[in-house]
Amino acid sequence: MEDQQATTTQEQKIRIVGFLCNWCSYGGADTAGVCRFKQPTDVRIVRIPCTGRMDPMFVAKALINGADGVLVSGCHPNDCHYSVGNFYARRRMEAFKRFLPFIGIDTRRFRYTWVSASEGQVWQQVITEFTEEIHRLGPNPGLAGTAEAGRIPALAI
Amino acid sequence: MKDTTNAVQEAVKKVFDGLDVVLGWKPGYDSRHMTPAFIRKAGDIDQMVFNPLCVQNLSGYLVNTLDAGDAEKESRIGICVKGCDSRSVVELIQEGLVARERLHIIGIPCRGVVDMKKLERLRPGLESVEQVTVESDEVIVTTAGNPERFPAEKVLAHKCLQCRYPNPVIYDELIGDPVAARCDKDAPPPVVETLDGLSLEERAGFWSSELDRCIRCYACRNACPLCVCQDNCIAETRSPKWVSQRSGLPEKFLFHLIRTVHLAGRCTECGECMRVCPVGIPVTLLMEKMNHIVKDLFDYEAGIDPELKLPFQGYDPSESGI
Repeated sequence: MEDQQATTTQEQKIRIVGFLCNWCSYGGADTAGVCRFKQPTDVRIVRIPCTGRMDPMFVAKALINGADGVLVSGCHPNDCHYSVGNFYARRRMEAFKRFLPFIGIDTRRFRYTWVSASEGQVWQQVITEFTEEIHRLGPNPGLAGTAEAGRIPALAI
Repeated sequence: MKDTTNAVQEAVKKVFDGLDVVLGWKPGYDSRHMTPAFIRKAGDIDQMVFNPLCVQNLSGYLVNTLDAGDAEKESRIGICVKGCDSRSVVELIQEGLVARERLHIIGIPCRGVVDMKKLERLRPGLESVEQVTVESDEVIVTTAGNPERFPAEKVLAHKCLQCRYPNPVIYDELIGDPVAARCDKDAPPPVVETLDGLSLEERAGFWSSELDRCIRCYACRNACPLCVCQDNCIAETRSPKWVSQRSGLPEKFLFHLIRTVHLAGRCTECGECMRVCPVGIPVTLLMEKMNHIVKDLFDYEAGIDPELKLPFQGYDPSESGI
């Protein structure tokens, strides 16, 4: 890990975890590759059977253990290979996305989106935009070191 | 207070013949603490009490201790519930963990319970408490015939100060008259709102300093009436290994996020996790925030209607914006 980091430039020291569904977005990313669309290289892709497999804890564990961004992508709503997996997923993802700021994690570090297997170009656009956003946000500040960051309110609890 | 105790005893006596066990409260190891009571003999009914020191949510015993989910079982269970406790019972029925027909629910409208840690901090050396009365903005504690008045916001439990359901939402019998709620049903939880008003860094700082104290004793999980996995909790399994044995901040965050995620749209905010925390972490706030989000997104609140489906166990194709 250390060696890998040492060989990358300062600019590229961003790690994004992408959870892509087997049937649509993984295929979409593949299509983008086959079509030779230029893509950023900061994303590590984990293939999941369906976005319905997404446990918000995947996102939590990645972000808490130092990932700079997490991208979840699956079939468009109504086009899920298993009919409804992404309907379940989007409820969980949205609730968790809204919860992240409460514990001090920037909600922009997590995004979920829908890309079909034929949409190579859309994938290129999505991953480029997201990577640019994470580069703008910079490395994940993590949990430690933030304790002294601000006045800690005296709450009546 | 004496009246409610008597009324509870009377209510239990009336139905005791049809029941095998009744869950209630009885005096604990000193006058400041009440303890859960499992009444199995008619002679023990006189031990039962109800007062603002009856802090425990008894619905947690229904699942793992009494296995009330099996409708085929013959034993009938009586349970005393306050407003907040009743929501946990509804949630358990909703999830099929407790069979409604096995329960006889004695509902008690509640003006709030005392957070003994707060009271001891405010007034050290309090002994032989004779009576505690909760009024709308004052708590009267009588020791040795001498009543002392304390402001309610200084001694009531966190959950009671933002109580929206003081009256049981499910019951077979209600003891006494319904009381007024301290907070509006649709109001956001006040402490969560204060935290929401801070910057991202301040919130990160707040939770880092709070969760840093966590010793991962899992008391919050064990006390939670809805943490029904208990011995199979993924916080302790080696496969999958979600949380390591290290004692760093990331592990502590992950453990509490597991609870938040698994209680999303299920937590009834009974405050047991916060009450039992030995290091005083306001754990409930995480669940309160998540519940507030769920209410916002799906217009759903946990533990209100036993017929409703859980929001994360269903979907709606027509939903937009998510």
